[in-house]
Amino acid sequence: MLDLLNTALIGPLRDMGGSPAFLVEVIIGGLAAGLMYSLVALGFVLIYKASGVFNFAQGVMVLFAALTLVGLMERGAPLALALLATALVMGALAFAIERVVLRPLVNQEQIILFMATIGLNFFLEGLGELAWGSNVKRLDVGIPDTSFMVWGVQINRLELTAAITAAVMVAVIAVFFQRTRIGRALRAVADDHEAALSIGIPLNTIWIVVWAAAGLVSIVAGIMWGAKSGVQFSLSLIALKALPVLILGGFTSVPGAIVGGLIIGVGEKIGEVYWGPLVGGAIENWFAYVLALAFLLVRPQGLFGEKIIERV
Amino acid sequence: MIYREAGQFKSSYASDQAVFPIRQDRVVVALGLVAAVIAVPLVADEYWLQAVLIPFLIYSLAALGLNLLTGYAGQVSLGTGGFMAVGAYSAFKLTGAFPGLNVLVAFLLAGLITALVGMLFGLPSLRIKGFYLAVATLASQFFLLWLFNKVAWFTDYASSGTITAPPRTVAGIMVTGPAATAEIRYLTALALVAVFAVIAKNLVRGRVGRSWMAIRDRDIAAEIIGVRPLRTKMLAFAISSFMIGVAGAEYVFLYLGSAETLAFDINVSFLVLFMVIIGGLGSILGSFLGAGFIVMVPIFLTNVPHLVGLAMPVALQKQIELMVFGGLIIFFLIAEPHGLARLWQIGKEKLRLWPFPY
Amino acid sequence: MNAGPTPLLEVDEVSVRFGAVQALEGVSLEIGRGEIVAIIGPNGAGKTTLLNVVSGFYHPSEGHIRFEGRDRTHLRPYDVAALGVARTFQNVALFKGMSVLDNIMTGRLLKMRGSFLLEALHWGPARRQELLHREFVERIIDFLEIESIRKAPAGKLPYGLQKRVELARALAAEPKLLLLDEPMAGMNVEEKEDMCRFILGVNDEFGTTIALIEHDMSVVMDISHRVIALDYGRKIADGTPDEVRADQAVIDAYLGVAHA
Repeated sequence: MLDLLNTALIGPLRDMGGSPAFLVEVIIGGLAAGLMYSLVALGFVLIYKASGVFNFAQGVMVLFAALTLVGLMERGAPLALALLATALVMGALAFAIERVVLRPLVNQEQIILFMATIGLNFFLEGLGELAWGSNVKRLDVGIPDTSFMVWGVQINRLELTAAITAAVMVAVIAVFFQRTRIGRALRAVADDHEAALSIGIPLNTIWIVVWAAAGLVSIVAGIMWGAKSGVQFSLSLIALKALPVLILGGFTSVPGAIVGGLIIGVGEKIGEVYWGPLVGGAIENWFAYVLALAFLLVRPQGLFGEKIIERV
Repeated sequence: MIYREAGQFKSSYASDQAVFPIRQDRVVVALGLVAAVIAVPLVADEYWLQAVLIPFLIYSLAALGLNLLTGYAGQVSLGTGGFMAVGAYSAFKLTGAFPGLNVLVAFLLAGLITALVGMLFGLPSLRIKGFYLAVATLASQFFLLWLFNKVAWFTDYASSGTITAPPRTVAGIMVTGPAATAEIRYLTALALVAVFAVIAKNLVRGRVGRSWMAIRDRDIAAEIIGVRPLRTKMLAFAISSFMIGVAGAEYVFLYLGSAETLAFDINVSFLVLFMVIIGGLGSILGSFLGAGFIVMVPIFLTNVPHLVGLAMPVALQKQIELMVFGGLIIFFLIAEPHGLARLWQIGKEKLRLWPFPY
Repeated sequence: MNAGPTPLLEVDEVSVRFGAVQALEGVSLEIGRGEIVAIIGPNGAGKTTLLNVVSGFYHPSEGHIRFEGRDRTHLRPYDVAALGVARTFQNVALFKGMSVLDNIMTGRLLKMRGSFLLEALHWGPARRQELLHREFVERIIDFLEIESIRKAPAGKLPYGLQKRVELARALAAEPKLLLLDEPMAGMNVEEKEDMCRFILGVNDEFGTTIALIEHDMSVVMDISHRVIALDYGRKIADGTPDEVRADQAVIDAYLGVAHA
């Protein structure tokens, strides 16, 4: 019994303490991965906050954005032009989604909308593969994937850029929602579609705006991720992991998405590196979900979410 | 004119509660069963049995299980693939450890094991609802598959990481394994799904089904009326997982022959959920219709282009499949959220009035 | 407290708080067997909260609730239902996906002892039981005159009929105490007369004790034995309809005189 405790608990902890520089690197690696999750989750939160729709297809949108960008660049377009074109494509996609999927389903129950976005997920996956092919692509955004040393710890340039970009985006989005008139309107829409319509908020325009914004976030996430590990379809599986992030952070909280993503990222990495070898590895496959599950049991509304009060 | 219930008055509550109250329905179902049992094995060729009918029956069973959980009891689950895996691996270990065990009994025991696992992973549903629950079920999906991958005991330490269905006979007839004919496997799958369909129908139109639907429609009011959430949800998870487990065992033993965990990944969970949505949430018939529909789409895409002279590369077919599935889900959710089953009902309604328009 | 038989329901200094909102404060009341008691008060007075606390959906932060003399303050809703308390809801909580008949049959759930295995086979005892319950429910359907809609999906019915189906569902449980939350809201004069007839009939024939929240004063005057008035979570009057109608505090509450 003591032996088991030793291997399961003391051993890994001792490993961690043994080489602190390595631990810090693992943590940073976790933070970087977590940031990717956060960016995807951010897109979710945007859409959910503004339209009350739980967009299961968010991950695929990230993939789609990355695919479009890479596809255009492969055909010789310079980065700036490709970015612009991708932004337009994502905007058009947002428009199409609003028209074809959201408008007919306005005011259906959430679970119906959720399942519609699952359908959307599959559709975009097929379309993406159809349009751009299914082999892995390299994405070069001009930032070298090299590291430099700070206080004996390795820091990767690409990850650092991603972190800074994400921080800026979060700040902009937070300000947008809290301070501007449009942001207020968006929050009203998320609360109650019909009520918002009845006071004259232009629902359709708002939804297009929001989905386009989420599309932009997807582009950034796609770029960062694609530059790091190549653009491929496992991206959408990774995006699936943004769901536990949302559970931790709450569906309606922008800071929650970030914090949740970081927690999951770090937790996964530490779990994998220090406990993984004990059980044969690949803990990352399920760690995030089990963590989310444990969380839900204790605090169903997440770290930052609003407490749900039931009424009869 | 043909499809009229004029003259068929019910003189007792018993006859009113029958599964097929209308005489024409009974005739059609009886004929259908006869056709399925006798005509099909005689007429259908190997391809149709192996590639279409057997998977259709197996998926129907899985869809039936999921429909009970999600369509009737309202508990969204994305863990179907994982539970099918539990059934498959349980059946594999059981038949391996007890070579004399009747393979059908092994299926049922596998279902029982899956039911227990299902109840365990279903416990969170007491605290979590809606798509939170859906995400929580992903935990079971990913964890279970990881478990079967990592722990070699499950595959009897096979280096290839696959499990293979051993040859087994029932009453002297080879039911599983390479020597089992497609006809026999088809009939086995048919028998199993028919039995479970009857059970499901009986449950659904009685006390159990009503308590499930009460929880689905208004869980708080249901509790105030006296429905006990723990019991009701656990029963839903148990029965649903039982069926899905048996379907998983059948998947390897009667269809694939051998499989690895990839055969049960998250895509299977989505696929079965699509069958339930397209077929009709909360409908026994819908489970079959949805399964049939989804099984036919790839078949259609493989064969039809040839018929019209187009060549369709495999990769393109897969992509179009994805798009068609996704598009259909959206279409059905918009046009007819109650799926093919409701369209079927509407069709029957029209038939009752035919040839009058209304 | 009268020295008669134990009251069916005793609410004893019950307070209910939601965060900073005091929904009920020190409410005490009794309901005797066979009485029809109306609960009145302006919106937000805590009437539905009172019913919810009696149903066991909310638990009081202070105080006790006794049913048939025994304390049942902290029971879960389904246990309270098992004691013999049934109710209808302000916003018609019918199960929209089921037919009228099935909805009412769910009311019988507590009376159904079942083994799901037998039900799966629809055999023997399970079959007989289902038929017995169906017969009972049909008597209720007869009583409430809703035969023609028994197979209709509950969600598609007009509001008045939905409320009647909800009443049927509550009656199917053969309750000792029936709690009705605004059973006549949104009904026209004829429908209200019908409902009054049904409520009085239930009380008369089955001796069911009834507590109902109601805004229509003429209904309250007509059918209730006693009236309890709430305002801002406190009980402000308790007596016969005539007494309460003349009570100054009640008049103030409804006319909106400023409160301390």
